[in-house]
Amino acid sequence: MKPPPVKYARAGDVQEAIALLTEHGSDAKVLAGGQSLIPLMNFRLARPSILIDINRVRELDYVREDNGTLAIGAMTRQRDVETSSVAAASVPLLPEVLRHVGHITNRNRGTVGGSLAHADPAAELPALVTGLGGELVVQGPNGVRTIPAEDFFMSTFTTALEPDEVLIGVRLPRLPGGTGVAVEELARRHGDFAIVAAMAAVHLAPDRSVDLVRLAVSGVDSVPVRLHAAEDALTGGRPSAEAIEAAAATVADAIHPADDVHAPASYRRDMAQLLVKRVAKAALERSETKS
Amino acid sequence: MTIIEPVESQTKYTGTRVRRTEDPRLLAGRGQYIDDVTVPKMIEAAVLRSPLAHARITNIDVSRARAHPGVFDVLTGQDLATVAGQQPVIWFPIPEQRIAKTHALAVDQVRWVGQAVAAVVAVDRYVAEDALELIDIDYEPLPVVADLDAALAPDAPKLYDDWPDNVSGSLTYTAGDPDAAFASADLVVSASFRHGRAFGCPLEPRGCIVNWDTFAGSLDVWLSTQSPNLARDLLAEVFGIPVHKIRVRTPNLGGGFGNKFDFYGEEVIAAVLSRRTGRPVKLIEDRAESFVATSHSRDQRLDFEMALRSDGTILGLRGVSYGVLGGAFGTVGSGPPWASVLTCMGPYKIPNMDVTVKAVMTNRSPYGSYRGWGVPKGNIVHERLIELAARKLGMDRTEIRRKNFPAPEEFPFFTGVAFTYDSGRYADCLDLATSKIDELGWRERQARARAEGRSVGIGYSFHVEPSAYGPSRILNLVGLAHSGFDEVTVRMDSIGKVTIYSGQINMGQGTHTIYAQLAADTLGIPMDDVVVITGDTDSCPYTGYGTGGSRAAPLGGAAILRAGERLRAKILRIAAELLEASPEDLQIQDGQISVKGTTGRSVSTRDVGDAAYRRLLNRLPEGETPTLEEVDVFDPPNMATSYGCTALLVEVDRETGTVSLLDCLQAHDCGTVINPMLVDGQLAGGLAQALGGALLEELVYDEEGQLKTASFMDYLLPTAMEIPPFHFYHQETPAPDIPGGIKGVGEAGPIAGVSLVGSAIDDALSDLGVAVTRFPCTPPRLLELIREAQSRKEGSA
Ligand SMILES: Cc1cc2nc3c(=O)[nH]c(=O)nc-3n(C[C@H](O)[C@H](O)[C@H](O)COP(=O)(O)OP(=O)(O)OC[C@H]3O[C@@H](n4cnc5c(N)ncnc54)[C@H](O)[C@@H]3O)c2cc1C
Repeated sequence: MKPPPVKYARAGDVQEAIALLTEHGSDAKVLAGGQSLIPLMNFRLARPSILIDINRVRELDYVREDNGTLAIGAMTRQRDVETSSVAAASVPLLPEVLRHVGHITNRNRGTVGGSLAHADPAAELPALVTGLGGELVVQGPNGVRTIPAEDFFMSTFTTALEPDEVLIGVRLPRLPGGTGVAVEELARRHGDFAIVAAMAAVHLAPDRSVDLVRLAVSGVDSVPVRLHAAEDALTGGRPSAEAIEAAAATVADAIHPADDVHAPASYRRDMAQLLVKRVAKAALERSETKS
Repeated sequence: MTIIEPVESQTKYTGTRVRRTEDPRLLAGRGQYIDDVTVPKMIEAAVLRSPLAHARITNIDVSRARAHPGVFDVLTGQDLATVAGQQPVIWFPIPEQRIAKTHALAVDQVRWVGQAVAAVVAVDRYVAEDALELIDIDYEPLPVVADLDAALAPDAPKLYDDWPDNVSGSLTYTAGDPDAAFASADLVVSASFRHGRAFGCPLEPRGCIVNWDTFAGSLDVWLSTQSPNLARDLLAEVFGIPVHKIRVRTPNLGGGFGNKFDFYGEEVIAAVLSRRTGRPVKLIEDRAESFVATSHSRDQRLDFEMALRSDGTILGLRGVSYGVLGGAFGTVGSGPPWASVLTCMGPYKIPNMDVTVKAVMTNRSPYGSYRGWGVPKGNIVHERLIELAARKLGMDRTEIRRKNFPAPEEFPFFTGVAFTYDSGRYADCLDLATSKIDELGWRERQARARAEGRSVGIGYSFHVEPSAYGPSRILNLVGLAHSGFDEVTVRMDSIGKVTIYSGQINMGQGTHTIYAQLAADTLGIPMDDVVVITGDTDSCPYTGYGTGGSRAAPLGGAAILRAGERLRAKILRIAAELLEASPEDLQIQDGQISVKGTTGRSVSTRDVGDAAYRRLLNRLPEGETPTLEEVDVFDPPNMATSYGCTALLVEVDRETGTVSLLDCLQAHDCGTVINPMLVDGQLAGGLAQALGGALLEELVYDEEGQLKTASFMDYLLPTAMEIPPFHFYHQETPAPDIPGGIKGVGEAGPIAGVSLVGSAIDDALSDLGVAVTRFPCTPPRLLELIREAQSRKEGSA
């Protein structure tokens, strides 16, 4: 489990990282928290010829809210977001979801940008960003561009990032006060990647009708899936068991689970449906009718 | 005035929760494990492993690897076979069995994914691994025998061309008249049980450093092993080097769990590389390799049936234990699946039996030792079947067990198949467990949960653990090409301090602590005055077998007690000379020897040591040999069988098939408890491993014989988050055949814990009539059982 020979360069800022990426092209890899990249190198499954370490790029380490948007820098450690009061107030789903990402030790090093750029289809953060309709901010030689999450995640371990681009941050719309949130994860052990994870955010209008629903699942497709049909089935009406059933009934068509050693596709499909019911119910119960 | 009789405190340490002397160093991170050992001029090796499960090697080209800068040597199977014999096998329990042997590096054919095919030694491990990528091998794929069914299919491809099929051998034991018993039974319950592949997975993988001194013709070996004496004998066998020219040293072990009992090809590869390069060679198995290169175990199917009378009396047991072996034999051959058959009756009186072990080869990694050594699957047979019977008969699960126990006065109790259990108070142990279930309020918890619609169940497992392996001649008789005695040296030095030399290995059990406790108590000295030395064949005595079979405490302990008794007598004789008293009137306390019942003059062990080693004149009695040293060899007349009753509280999620472990207790009897804290540690660690095996851990192969769970991402060890709280209760029934009354305890948890989970899940789902027969019981598997049961129930409703 020794990696093949690799060169190493440390970038002081984003510009420098981009310059290095431009110079080395697809042979280069950005090193963030190393929680996914280093194991892959030790297994010799990833063989970059050079690592571009962005751990000293301080400008990418932040959690702040402006104009109804929560902005998180790519190099912000997952644990820092989990414990951030700004994040919790703006997107209360975040800390709940992050608790399911590995163990505290992984989250101490693992970064928000690393998890998103790595694009593991079972990972929780990509599902959250997709479900909440977040945007990814990337920077390359030609400047900064913003990519909606549903366009960013293209397939297993594949994103819309170009080889000479750095993911610099993510932006999430603030959830209105009183939004109920819930996460359910089915994993073999505490801290494992999800067999299926489901997350929900639900907001009730003053008349107690549902005026905002966000539902997403991971582990059941090559990308995280936002469940638009299920959201539509719940939106507008009064919360009811029937509405939840109707929403869950749309899940099977929205996902394409695969078999693996931990669970067959059929199990994943059934569990996605079940967990969506559970999170929708829990989020509804936790939502408070206030504006 | 009250006269206070002087209190003779014989036992001072035994039975107390003495802290482990091993721990401060390990906790401070200053342990020395195999990879911490460096030897001058050492170079590092790495092994190339087969990517295919079954193939012929048609060509190996090592020229590019050899030319790689930093590479010292590249070794192939052909090269190795010119200087090394095949890997030895020591267990032959099945008469006329076909034995599938192989060289440490495959010579012309590979039979499992991960089989070693070549090795590189280089300046360091990085370079060695780089060079592995430069070895070009042509394989001609052969049809793969991926699992038991494939191996037994009538037209199955064969692993060994000169065998008639893939069956290595089989052996049947019969007792009484099983056919008549089944014919006359009121009830027969049967099931096909399956236990997936698993392994001990010590957190420190294996490793060695070998220096072959071609001038002296000697081998100097550092090895992360549980059995240095065995390794030395087997290295001698493989290379034809005299045993006395081989030294095996063992640093700290980061776990062994039986996996490091076995003798592996890497030891041989490193030796050959050292011989060829003239340099000491370090060869560490890394984590990724460990999943294919360390002995696998547990993989078995057990088709069994039990015959009973309607009152719950067991009349008979019959069935077959299929050992799903790998592509070649490991060191212990088909031993573990055979041990399942030896223990499939467990703690019950079963007069009529017809039980068979069948050892079958597949294209998987070799099968070997893992804590429990077959007995966990024997336990699945008797514990699962007796519960199925209880269900059919409408009997209480504890009552049916109690009904079939031999009574304490029926011991020594011959099981009908090989083992004679030495002693036991089984019903008392069961009562102890059930009383604690009541005390802990499990039944109320279960009732409350059920009222809330939650599925909470209580599981039981009564286990036996044949320990203190074993009487040498009997072991030879049943097919072991090795012995089972243990030898220790107890030496007091010239200042009265004591060193124990033992051939046992400390891989986490706390052997050094308990040996010091026992020595201190027999000799009447402070524990601080005792040092324990293990892990060097040049200075430590011979132990038969190795550290396995739960033998370090009962056998090493007994030998220390016996040697200690004799040494104590000699100390008293010398002290008597110094005190001008009679030895019979003397006592030793805290290292001070004085006349019993007086407060007069005393001498210390220091004075005695001085008299025995330095200033003998007028102090060492005439006729007494100088020095203070006793050697004892203890070959037990019988094994010591410990036992326990374990109970588990679980909750099952019927919608997902997930199982949460809520609470766990074990009432246990391992005879004399030397150190309750260490016994609890053994029980807890063992149960954790069993719970992993029952729910999480599985080495899964696909139809091509590829291992799908070859990292910690997919091979799921339980963590502290998955493990329930444990409560342990000791009952002490001294072992009649072991001085000191000690029984082994190392394997209790693994034996008890798997069937236990099945029992608890069944109970949580009792309204559905689910019977768990396959382990690990993963969420998808359990959900399938639940759904089947639900549709059965709806169908019948
Ligand atoms: C034991 C363990 C358990 C885990 N469990 C989970 C889990 O349950 N759920 C989960 O989601 N994850 C889990 N992980 C993965 C973990 O969350 C990682 O932190 C995360 O996937 C990657 O983040 P990182 O900062 O470590 O990135 P790195 O490993 O450094 O990088 C990952 C990839 O992203 C690229 N990259 C990183 N940052 C950028 C950037 N700013 N711009 C462009 N490319 C970039 C790298 O080049 C690399 O290809 C686990 C990891 C471990 C070791």
